[in-house]
Amino acid sequence: MSFVSWQYAFFLPLLALLYWQLPWRGRIFLLIAGSYFFYGMWDARFLALLLTTTVVDFFGALAIAGEKKSTAKVIGIGLLPFCWLIGCSTFYSAQPAVAKEIIFAAAVFPVAYGGLYQLLWRLPPEKQRRAFLILSLCSNLSVLGFFKYFNFFAGTLEVLLAKIGWHPGWTLLHIILPVGISFYTFQSISYAVDVYRGIARPSHDFFTFTAFVSFFPQLVAGPIERRNDLLVQLEKPAKFEVADLHDGLRLILIGCFKKIYVADNCALLANYAFDGKTQLNGQWALLGVLAFAFQIYGDFSGYTDIARGSARLLGIRLNRNFNFPYFAASPSDFWRRWHMTLSFWFRDYVYIPLGGNRHGALKTLRNLWITMLLAGLWHGASWTFVIWGAYYAALLTLYHVTPGLNRLSAPEKISRGWLVAGAALMFTLTLIGWAIFRSKDMTQLTGWFAAFGNWNVGAAADWTKPAGWWLLHIVPLLLLQLLTWKARDEAELSRFAWPVRGLIYTLLFLLVASSVAPDVEFIYFQF
Amino acid sequence: MKTWLSPAFVMLLTVLMGGELVVRVFYKADMQGRFEYGYNPTAGFVENADGSVNLIRAGGRRFWPQTFSKVRPPSVFRVMVIGDSVPRGSSLATAYPAQIGDKLRALGVKAESFNLAIGGNGAARSEIILRKALDYQPSLVILHVDNGDEFEDEREFKRAEAFKGWQPRNWLMKSFFIRRLYEVTTEQIFWKLVPAEVRVLNSVNDTANKALAGANPATRREWDARVQKYTAESVALARQHGVPILLLTESRLHDDGHGGFYLDDRGLDELVRPLLGDGVYFLSMKEILQHTNFAPLFTDGTHLHPAGHEIIADAVVEKLRQEGIVNVGH
Repeated sequence: MSFVSWQYAFFLPLLALLYWQLPWRGRIFLLIAGSYFFYGMWDARFLALLLTTTVVDFFGALAIAGEKKSTAKVIGIGLLPFCWLIGCSTFYSAQPAVAKEIIFAAAVFPVAYGGLYQLLWRLPPEKQRRAFLILSLCSNLSVLGFFKYFNFFAGTLEVLLAKIGWHPGWTLLHIILPVGISFYTFQSISYAVDVYRGIARPSHDFFTFTAFVSFFPQLVAGPIERRNDLLVQLEKPAKFEVADLHDGLRLILIGCFKKIYVADNCALLANYAFDGKTQLNGQWALLGVLAFAFQIYGDFSGYTDIARGSARLLGIRLNRNFNFPYFAASPSDFWRRWHMTLSFWFRDYVYIPLGGNRHGALKTLRNLWITMLLAGLWHGASWTFVIWGAYYAALLTLYHVTPGLNRLSAPEKISRGWLVAGAALMFTLTLIGWAIFRSKDMTQLTGWFAAFGNWNVGAAADWTKPAGWWLLHIVPLLLLQLLTWKARDEAELSRFAWPVRGLIYTLLFLLVASSVAPDVEFIYFQF
Repeated sequence: MKTWLSPAFVMLLTVLMGGELVVRVFYKADMQGRFEYGYNPTAGFVENADGSVNLIRAGGRRFWPQTFSKVRPPSVFRVMVIGDSVPRGSSLATAYPAQIGDKLRALGVKAESFNLAIGGNGAARSEIILRKALDYQPSLVILHVDNGDEFEDEREFKRAEAFKGWQPRNWLMKSFFIRRLYEVTTEQIFWKLVPAEVRVLNSVNDTANKALAGANPATRREWDARVQKYTAESVALARQHGVPILLLTESRLHDDGHGGFYLDDRGLDELVRPLLGDGVYFLSMKEILQHTNFAPLFTDGTHLHPAGHEIIADAVVEKLRQEGIVNVGH
């Protein structure tokens, strides 16, 4: 179910109304039912995967904390994904059939997991915690690896083997990428690691934990929440506050504005420029990437705002994901402002465990490169995403080793003039990054760069009027950012008197309602 | 204690309700019928108190703005041309409907000619316009026949039916205020700033779906059957009113793959021949153009330059003369 669909316009208020009528336990069950329904609207079969992740990390985290559950219980709850798939095969005949191999894997999973679970408890106590963490990580990453990266690596290997004259001739599997798998997998991993590190307690309630893993507002595209941010809120009954209702509605309105008015209308131009068939010239290459920069920002930050607003209607606060990223003065500043929960995830669970900046300049750079390459690959199983990660790693390296640029990484210590120059330079570098990100393959990317050597001929469509269209759709966003500059959150309008807020709401609503662009799926769903 | 709705949200709702009220009171005539299939008499044809009729809009698409008297003046030969984007032309003055009027007047006929063509209108929507046009006593109706707009006709019909239903997707657009705003944005900003290539690529015009449907021979046969059915109904209507009707079949320009071009009527000529009879006349664009250097007359594979429109107008006037529909000297 998409946030900007009429179904969601009914789903959310109904769920919120019911939610506040129920006692705490009832709310948890309602959240699980609502979240599974929300996710199942895309493809109910993949709920089995979500359940598997839930089961693995629930028992895994308890074991990491030294709490043993009976094997029967582990296997019994571990059977849930299998039961779900059997149910799908029986009752959802309209959907593509569940492959027999998948049902078989789901049947084997509880026995295999239960067996391993029992086996690991026989290890010496000092090794148990680490072993259960490894089991949890391997389970999560193998699911992610199979569904997201199997074909990518198999295809790449095939190409490499062909270069040395060996043609294995294997056929790639037809694998559907489950929506949001990267998000909920990373959230589950952070839970297991936090319990291992002793900075979070394991959940003892399977249902509350299930609600945490599947919480619908942030299930498919984040923000990626931690145990101590989201699960603690679910464990306590929230109290209804009218202020939450107001904030929630405002966040949803601003999110819809960013998605429907800014992103979807900018997408018209970006899609044309990056179509692959358009004969690009310099003007369209520039306009296309500018349009995409605001498309992806409006799309993803709009999604986050709607997610935060939806959660707020249920009395739950989700983390911010954006802090005016296009005003960043350096690559490190950019990553502190763009998709913040993912950046912090990579910092806490990859960069710092690798050693961070604690072991000298060379190892710091090595850690940066590994982190950014993985961050690039997280966005998609394609070499352009790997190159995008490498591009940012190169920028971080450049800024790290160049004294003048290095100063830009600490914006609070430099003058306003340098800050503006640094932001302008960084925005230009960000645009190049988006061109890499948006290109389907290397041919298209090189075509985009080559277009800048050609300003006179090329694209069939005139670019001047579309540039006006682009401006028309980003200026209201920039004005909103100007108004909320101090709060660093476009949804933070509380410092204004209500007539001003009312005027802003009215303008935003009218822009959304009169938006021409057709429905466009959220970009980050594919990750 | 805070209220459930903040004053700012109440302000938003008040502005929306106020806007709706203003549009419903002051733009009533302009808005009514916009949600109907094809057109609604009060939307496309606005009858004024002074006895004149304005052509403004039909089903969300505009007629060329024109005015005529509700009652045809005595001894005036009134021509009404109904069809799609080809007779509509790139401007009112250069499209063949207006040129027919000019040529008839040049020949001494007291004539007026009106362009009731709308881009994308297929046979069904043309019939709806004809029903209303017959109220204004045309001396001749020219029905421009094409089978390339049936996809749009069918889609618009489904949309109109869905719009009348319960589907929540359409609830926002049932507001006259929002609808008006949306149309202004579409027509005054979107169409002017976003080039056709970009719109087509993003399937804003449903072009990809149309091409896909048109590639299916069974679908094309269905479209032909629709054209024949609605054209037959239009012919019957005109005959009931005792109004002569001229069926002008469209033709398209195709590349023959050897550096040349050919004209293709896509079976339309054969499709309409069974409908001919007393008071029903026929002209084929293919027959008119094939003796000319036709390729430069087209702007694309379908639409004509003013010179092409002029050739069509000449052929129509000649046909009217030959058939004795108008009396003109040589």
